[in-house]
Amino acid sequence: MTASSPALPGRSLLRVGPLAVPLRRRPVVVAVVLFVLLAGAVVLSLSLGTPYVAPVDVLRALSGAGTPYDLVVLDLRLPRAVLAALAGAAFGVAGTLIQSVARNPLASPDVIGVTQGAGLAATVALTSGAAAVLVAPAALLGGLVAAVLVFALGARHGLAAQRFVLAGVAVAFALRALTEVVMLSADPIDGLRAQLWLIGTLAGKGWTEAAWIAGPLAALLPVLLWAGWALRSTALDDDTARGIGLRPVARRVGLAATGVLAAATVTAQVGAVDFVALVAPQVARRLVRAERPPLLCAALLGALLLVLADLAGRRLFAPTQLPAGVLTAAIGGPYLIFLLLRTRGRRS
Amino acid sequence: MTAMLSTRDLVVGYEARTVLDGLDLDLPADAFTVIVGPNACGKSTLLRTMARLLTPRRGAVLLDGTAIRDLPTREVARRLGVLPQSPLVPEGITVADLVGRGRQPYQRWWRQWSAEDGRAVEAAMAMADVAELADRPVDTLSGGQRQRVWIAMTLAQDTEALLLDEPTTFLDLAHQVEVLDLLHRLRAERGRTVVAVLHDLNQAARYADHLVAMRAGAVVAAGPPREILTAELVRDVFGLDCVVVPCPVTGAPLVVPALTHTSAAPAATPAPAGASAGDA
Repeated sequence: MTASSPALPGRSLLRVGPLAVPLRRRPVVVAVVLFVLLAGAVVLSLSLGTPYVAPVDVLRALSGAGTPYDLVVLDLRLPRAVLAALAGAAFGVAGTLIQSVARNPLASPDVIGVTQGAGLAATVALTSGAAAVLVAPAALLGGLVAAVLVFALGARHGLAAQRFVLAGVAVAFALRALTEVVMLSADPIDGLRAQLWLIGTLAGKGWTEAAWIAGPLAALLPVLLWAGWALRSTALDDDTARGIGLRPVARRVGLAATGVLAAATVTAQVGAVDFVALVAPQVARRLVRAERPPLLCAALLGALLLVLADLAGRRLFAPTQLPAGVLTAAIGGPYLIFLLLRTRGRRS
Repeated sequence: MTAMLSTRDLVVGYEARTVLDGLDLDLPADAFTVIVGPNACGKSTLLRTMARLLTPRRGAVLLDGTAIRDLPTREVARRLGVLPQSPLVPEGITVADLVGRGRQPYQRWWRQWSAEDGRAVEAAMAMADVAELADRPVDTLSGGQRQRVWIAMTLAQDTEALLLDEPTTFLDLAHQVEVLDLLHRLRAERGRTVVAVLHDLNQAARYADHLVAMRAGAVVAAGPPREILTAELVRDVFGLDCVVVPCPVTGAPLVVPALTHTSAAPAATPAPAGASAGDA
């Protein structure tokens, strides 16, 4: 099959051993461009700050040449930049999976309750005087318990899109109310710490948190390869999917569970950074012009967004540091509105 | 390449309501079977159960003698295609892409495309006459084109049997005929077993090799339309008085509803009630 085959318009077939994957040129180009932009953003975030380190010196430090900037670049800034990239990628993956299952471009981990579950558990941990190392595991557990609750409520009709989203919204509201109660009845200082956690920040975080995201993501990699393929069918209705030999309910549960795992894992480490999971899949989808969000491009775009948001949070009002979560909301919200308006304008 | 579909003691229902209660039915292989009946008679339920879109409470659907429940869904999908009543068009998907989804039962995540897939998709698009639309987004097509694309998708599946739930319902007359002609060619030229639920009795009589008339979850009559479609049957099944005359084009039975008090006054002498194709 060549790219000119009428059965595979605009595609060429990638063959590696037993692998045969039809690829459109556009997503490949978009992925390469996003990767280059991401690399540039990481270098920029290693370069900017006090002291300023010229990009050339950043690259030399990264190559292990041994420069006077090694401490600043490799020990102080690199961990946080890597964490931002990993966390952003995980948010992008989580958002893509959850939006595809929910068949709703506005679905994301914080719409279906995962973020709120993690937030409630983290708030309880932060305000009850529990050891600091327990906050992340508690948040992970909270996010997963909330997801199980949503799955149980949404399961009656095979986790159908509407029901899944409604169950998530209901659980999210209930958990948010509980979080407020916990926060109001806590010591004000603890309450503030919880508040900061809920906004989401990368300040003071580094290799440990990055490892706790990279590990589970690496373990999920085979599942993600399957998911990239399985996502194609989420836009079909259940009858059509069954007709072509799929088990749509099992598939949906598998994809949603993978998305929830990714969301809970990353939220537990960096807090409830809003909008990356919501915006990255939709922007990526428009960039590649596909009928559903593309997994890899959404991950790259999520990474790019969070690296830039964290950089902007560090530098815009320096020396005051804004949490990355504030910046992602500030960038993501208006951009999504712009996209919605532009899409409608083009149709009419 | 023939497939025989049968049901044995089939019981299907929705929550408290039982729609089919112990249905035994054999559909001939290599034939165009049309299922007709009044609204809510269970014809769609029967078709959807045969296509394993619904799970029976009791009994079984047999494909060449084997219960489809005991077969892996991927294998069933290689032998039995289904076109649901109003499938959802994924936003922005192109015709070739959607038709390609029909190859799903032959694909794996590591082998997402083969030369055979390409041939099947091209053949399906040619057969359904949508090859020139290959690059168009499906949601920009007309209803008739769209239905041909969906049929092409099930053709790409390359199955022995094809089940269609009211494939002509939202189409104008010309497009209805177009779709039915396509189904006829599938049977006549490719030897596929085609089973469709249709609303229009006259189209059913014109195209079906085998007609199944249902009422209240039971089969009232089954057989070639010329043998079973009589005014008595229409009265039994639909509760409608009618005249059955030979169609001037095909000679198949043509159902003409009798005058009721709401109809316009007759322009000529009405034919005697109860006349059927057999009398003519």
